[in-house]
Amino acid sequence: MTALRSAFLTLLLACALPCAAALAAEPGAADGSGPRANVQSTTSQVIAVLANGSLSVDQKRHKVEEIVYAQVDFETLSRLVLARNWSQLSEAQQKQFMEEFRQNLSATYGRNVESYKNEKVQIIEDHAEPRGDWTVRTKIVRNGSNDINVDYRLRQVNGTWKIIDIIIENVSLVANFRSQFQEIISNGGPTRLLQVLHEKNERGEPLKAPAAATS
Amino acid sequence: MSSTRIRAALCLVAVSVLAAMGLTACGPPASRGLHTEARTDYDPWQPLNRKIFWFNDHVDQYVLEPVARGWDWIAPDVVERSVSNFFVNLRSPIVVLNDLLQAKPKNAASDIGRFAVNTTVGVVGFFDYATPLGMPQHTEDFGQTLGWWGLPAGPYLVLPMLGPSNIRDTGGLIGDGFASPAGWFISWWILIPPRVGEAINSRALLLKQVEEAKRASFDYYVFVRDAYLQRRNAQLNDLSPGSTSGTEQGEDLYHPDAAPPRDAAPPYGGPQS
Repeated sequence: MTALRSAFLTLLLACALPCAAALAAEPGAADGSGPRANVQSTTSQVIAVLANGSLSVDQKRHKVEEIVYAQVDFETLSRLVLARNWSQLSEAQQKQFMEEFRQNLSATYGRNVESYKNEKVQIIEDHAEPRGDWTVRTKIVRNGSNDINVDYRLRQVNGTWKIIDIIIENVSLVANFRSQFQEIISNGGPTRLLQVLHEKNERGEPLKAPAAATS
Repeated sequence: MSSTRIRAALCLVAVSVLAAMGLTACGPPASRGLHTEARTDYDPWQPLNRKIFWFNDHVDQYVLEPVARGWDWIAPDVVERSVSNFFVNLRSPIVVLNDLLQAKPKNAASDIGRFAVNTTVGVVGFFDYATPLGMPQHTEDFGQTLGWWGLPAGPYLVLPMLGPSNIRDTGGLIGDGFASPAGWFISWWILIPPRVGEAINSRALLLKQVEEAKRASFDYYVFVRDAYLQRRNAQLNDLSPGSTSGTEQGEDLYHPDAAPPRDAAPPYGGPQS
């Protein structure tokens, strides 16, 4: 009996704590063009496309791609993914890598366009990172399933905030690809990496090249 | 009978901890520099690991996944989630124990409350009423406790059937096994069917994710290794979900050119200050 009572006391205590934490959340950076606004507009635009029943799957994929291309800085992303290996690539190879990697990402994530089930995106908070980047934390709220935590890392490039990494449930896309590419490069150099990327794109039916929305 | 069993269990925990410490002490001085150079230094047993990984993947492909698919076909999502809740709830006492061993009384209180609510109102754990009440699920285990106490992670290790781990987490797994209250009263072989059931059920919840991961990755072995290490690191350091942010190690990832050669704490090795 007393055990039960103390359990409920702890219950009350535990309930009070998150409320206090929620109050302390900071509102974020500048409005309008800040990093939080970027993520907010990117995710809501994407969801609007996904939820639009009048679009075909292909149309959806193209539209999502357009939105994402505008908001993600693929050059920085590519540099970060290759890290110190970036300078091992010739300029032409760097260009090729960027292009193939981008194609690969859109082929991979474009597939998910079809599996949209009314998920919603909530922005939890945003904060500055020690060296000037910004992190915006969001969660994908799914009907009945567990939420998925997704963080966006943004960097200011030529005055605009662009997404440079996506961290899903603590797993950074940049870090994860970096490990994989590192493995390939240390076994076969940059040539091998480009070859592997290219072959995967060939197999993975990437989108028919959309009217180039290049950066 | 049960008291000798407990004593034996405690002895084994102690032995496994010592063994883990000894092994890591003999191993390479762990890895340095997060996500930078060739990361073979924390995966020195890669050739063997890859073989075990290959074996596990085949067991998954030919046994676990088909069965999970069957279960997924029979059971609606709600059922799968309830079963998953049930097993998570069963683990609660271990979570509380590890909360306490890591000096996290607030989490321990929350987890005790969680266990109380979900076991009663939540019908022996099938429903999770505690999360909406502000008592979220914490993932604490003995591996994290060992890390919290400063034991280095040691080399990456793929365990047969159990998957990605490292020396420290393997010791933790053994510790958790013996700390499980069920293990004190019930023979180990009776506990196997529920374990298998749990594996099938969790796999059923991940059908799509695993398929995606395999298709998206260039090297599935490295994909899994990296994801495991990143997640374990975040759990160990209780990072807010979804980020390596705020830490210097996390920063190095995003400033590869600026990262000075440091001899800082090994990545994933221990709690960051």
